[in-house]
This record gives sequence, C-alpha cells and structure tokens, in this order.
Amino acid sequence: MTAPRTSLMLLVARQELLLAARSRWTQIFAAVFAVLALGVSASGYILSGGHGFQDFARTSASLVQLVALVVPLASLLMGVMALAPERGTAELLFSQPIARRQILVGKLLGLLAALAAAEAVGFGLAGLVVFQNTGEDGAAGYAILVLGSFLLTAVFLSLAALIAAGAVGRKRARALAVALVVWFVAVLLIDLVALGVASVLPSTAASRLLILSVLLNPASAMRTGALLAIEGTAAFGPGSLALLRFTRGATGAALLVVVSLVTWIVLPTLAAVRRLSRADL
Amino acid sequence: MIRFEALSKTFGSHHAVQGLTLAVRAGEVVALLGPNGSGKTTSLKAAAGLLRPSSGQVLVGEPGLPATLPGARRVLSFLPQKVSFPDLLTGREVVEFYRLLRGVEPARTDEVLQVAALDGAAGRQVGTYSGGMTQRLGLAVAALPSAPVLLLDEPTSSLDADGLGAFYGLVEQRRQHGQTVLFTSHQWGDVERLADRVAVLVEGRLVADLTQHELSDRLAARGVMRLRLDACPTELLARVQRLAPGARWAMSQLSIPGSAEIRAAALEAVRSGGAEIRGIASDDGRLDTLYRELAGGAP
Repeated sequence: MTAPRTSLMLLVARQELLLAARSRWTQIFAAVFAVLALGVSASGYILSGGHGFQDFARTSASLVQLVALVVPLASLLMGVMALAPERGTAELLFSQPIARRQILVGKLLGLLAALAAAEAVGFGLAGLVVFQNTGEDGAAGYAILVLGSFLLTAVFLSLAALIAAGAVGRKRARALAVALVVWFVAVLLIDLVALGVASVLPSTAASRLLILSVLLNPASAMRTGALLAIEGTAAFGPGSLALLRFTRGATGAALLVVVSLVTWIVLPTLAAVRRLSRADL
Repeated sequence: MIRFEALSKTFGSHHAVQGLTLAVRAGEVVALLGPNGSGKTTSLKAAAGLLRPSSGQVLVGEPGLPATLPGARRVLSFLPQKVSFPDLLTGREVVEFYRLLRGVEPARTDEVLQVAALDGAAGRQVGTYSGGMTQRLGLAVAALPSAPVLLLDEPTSSLDADGLGAFYGLVEQRRQHGQTVLFTSHQWGDVERLADRVAVLVEGRLVADLTQHELSDRLAARGVMRLRLDACPTELLARVQRLAPGARWAMSQLSIPGSAEIRAAALEAVRSGGAEIRGIASDDGRLDTLYRELAGGAP
C-alpha cells in the first residue's frame, strides 16, 4: 500500500512545518518581527514629528522597509538550514520512494507556511494596535503589504532552495555564506550600484537600468508593489518612479511587479529541482 | 535482486568504484568488505539511488529497475552509515513520518520501536539520544517496510548490545523471508555470524567474491599460533619447521604461522617432542592483511 504522490509531498510539508514551528530560530524571528512591527506602528509617527499611533497607511509605509530588509534575511538563512540537512538525515530521506522534487517542494511549502505564520503574528499584533487606535482606513493596503511579505518570503525561500540544492549533506557553512552574500546583494547592493551607474548614463539608458534594477531585484519589486498598494509613491525611489513613468500608471507597474515576483519564485525553484535531481548525496 | 553492472563512480579525478559487477540474489545475505576508501559506501549508496553512476548501472528488484528511479526505491530500505534525524522530533514522530512515507500499517511503529529497544524513549526528542540510540532508531526506520532488499552501511559501528541483538534479529528475519541483505562492515564478527557470501573491494575494484566459509578458510590459513615453552631444542624447532616453514623461536615463545590444520599438527609435534607448554594463543589472519594480499593478487 503506497500513499498517493500529492499526499507524500504534503507529508513532507507537514513535517517541515512541525520542525520549523519548534525551531527556536522561527520563534525568535516571530518575536523580533512582532516587536519591530509593533514598534514601527507605535513610534513611527512620533519620529516624523507627530504623536500617537500611525494609521494603516503610514504603518504600512514604515513597515515596507522592515519587510524588505528582514524577511529576505530570515528566509534565506532558515531556508538553507532546513533545505541542506545533515548528511545522515538527507541520505535516509532521499533513499525513500519519493521523488526529490516532491521532497524539495514539500519542504518549501512547510517552511513557507511556518515563516508566513511567524510574520502574520507580527503583522496581526501591529494591525490590531493600529485598528484599535486609528480605525480601519488603509487596511486594504496593509493587507497587500502582508501578501507582499509572504511573496517575498517565497522568493527568498526559493533562492535558498537553489543555494541548498548543491549543499545537501555537505558544505552547509558555505551555503549559509552564499545566502548572506545573496541577501547583501539583493537588499543593499543592487539598488546602490544601479543608482551609481545610472547617474553617469544618459537619461533614457539610466531610466531603463533603474526599471531593470526594480524588476530584477525581488526586494525592490516588493517594495514598489507595496508602496503602490498603499498609495505611498512619495516614498518611491528613482527606480520605482522610472517604472511608474514607463508603465504610465499604477496598474501596469503593479502587474510587472507581480510578474517579477512570481518569476523569482518559479525559476529558482525549477533550477533547484533540476540541481537536486542531479546531485550525488 | 541487486545487480551491479560494471558500475563505476568517479568524483573529480578520484575513481571511487571501478567496473563493479556483482549480483546479490533473493534470500542472500552478502557482506561488502574492504579497507576504508575502498568504495563500499559508494557502491551501497549507488544501490540506494543516492548517487548517479559515472558509467554502468545498479538494478534493484525483479526484473530490475535502475536504482535512481523512485520506483526502485520502493523495494529497498537503506540505513546510512552515520544516520541522523532532526533533533526536535521525538523518536516516535520520526518513525511515524517514515511509516507514512512508506505506506506501512500503523501497528509497525510500535513493533519496530520495541525491536530497537526504544519503546521507553520514543517520546523523547532525538536531540537527547545517545549515538547508539540514534543508530537503533535508524535501524527501526530501516526495518519499517518489509522491503525485499535491505541495504545497511556499517550498521553495527556504534551499536550497543541491545542494538546488536536487534540488528542480528532483523537480518535473520529477512533471510528467513527470502529477502536480500547487503551490508558493509569492518567487524569480522558480523560477517561470520550473518553473511552467506563476502565481496571484497579494494581501491574501488572487486578483488574477491567468496562464500563465508572460503573467507574463513583464507583467514585461518593466515593465522599464527604462539606457544610459550620452557625450552625449544633445535631438533624440535626443525621438526616444527618441516610442518610450518615460517615457525620461529624467540623470547621463550614459538610462533607457528599457517592454516588451522598446520597449527594443530605443529602443536601435536611440540607435545610429542616433550616440551612443557606454559601458554598457548592462536589467532586467525586479519582482514586488513588479507585485503593487502588480495589487492596485490597474492593467494
């Protein structure tokens, strides 16, 4: 008697969710994210010269930066740790009658559920505080930010899977180092380099480069998408503004951002499946 | 049931296994022996579908599926050399996960935990287990499905007495059910007790494929008997050397190399020669010595 294929993948997902929920790293991430989100909602307005709590729109605008910074880091590190298990664990699991792609996708789903739940705790607490103090205005944009955060988690878990696929059962430390480099490049470096290069290019070429830097960088894409949703274009960087001008409106820009994020989820996952299928354990 | 067909595996410039051709039939228990780095684990991992052969193939089951296909892994169960589990799961959760993955009936969880003598520790997280308990948990997982092929990589390396009993019981049970067991080991005791046949790998090549009795004989032929005597007159030494030319007398000890028969005949010669025997020790040949001889093509 053999369980159907889908249920094997879900079984792996359930196991990974259980492990991630018990992991102190997930618990720390949930706690830190919640504290930061609460802090942002309670103090951001004060920092900008006002007093009291921010409404949903202002809280969202402040949280975008936090999400773009913290979520990729947590997803990459926790993803690599979970997706590149110890040799003895990997050998036993991969010798079972289940395809490697099912193991990989199952683990990704479990991790995504765990990290999304951890983020939901932070967003939920902050949202509750904001709702009680300022009402529901801007809640829809806040919900889109939450969705954007989940998408960004999926993107960086997918990248973690690609990094970890060559490190199953070995080279875990190296994979973690690569993950840190990817985070640094995606979250900090690309925008700076693009801006620096654009400043010496003619305006059309600079504009194209800046648009590319938004669409090819999932952290920037999420930031742009979330700010569009909360009508926070005042906080746009040059890349996001160039994209908005190029698409002549928010709808086109939002569509491109979603396509970018989905592509960033699908392509690394497919590459990770391919890499893992060919890996010797 | 397992067929290695000209299997070769190369890692960079290192040839881990070179042209291994070996068949393990249903109902056979075969030990894969060899020094460290001889390709035993690589061969076993190729049979478990964990490695892609550089050339050749490993077929598992009947009529024989390439081991890299998930379908082939349905007929086998594999215990890695240094098995490990997520620290945060309990022993029971680990077994339950693999039970569901293999589609085995629920009652097997308690059965295998009991066989592995882990029923008392099943509720504890694996992170609290000793090395021996982790190995026993691995054995429990490997024993879950009644798969026709059981692959075990140095299963006794860190087992305590309870674990050894569980391991021997598992292999005997599989043999009785006509299933195939292929295991690697450095422990001559495991081989002597369990194996019907022994395949010896040296530097990635199969250098011998012997029955267990043939291997015992070869080891016995490389044995040494040491007798502590009050004295060894020249004529007695000459008499012993006619039976065992390598016999030497030094420091009140007469060393007599040779097969069990030669050693027995030499002992009789010493006794009838009137020497007072104050102590006796006899060892069969060592596996590492045999590996070197087999690698060099010595008899």
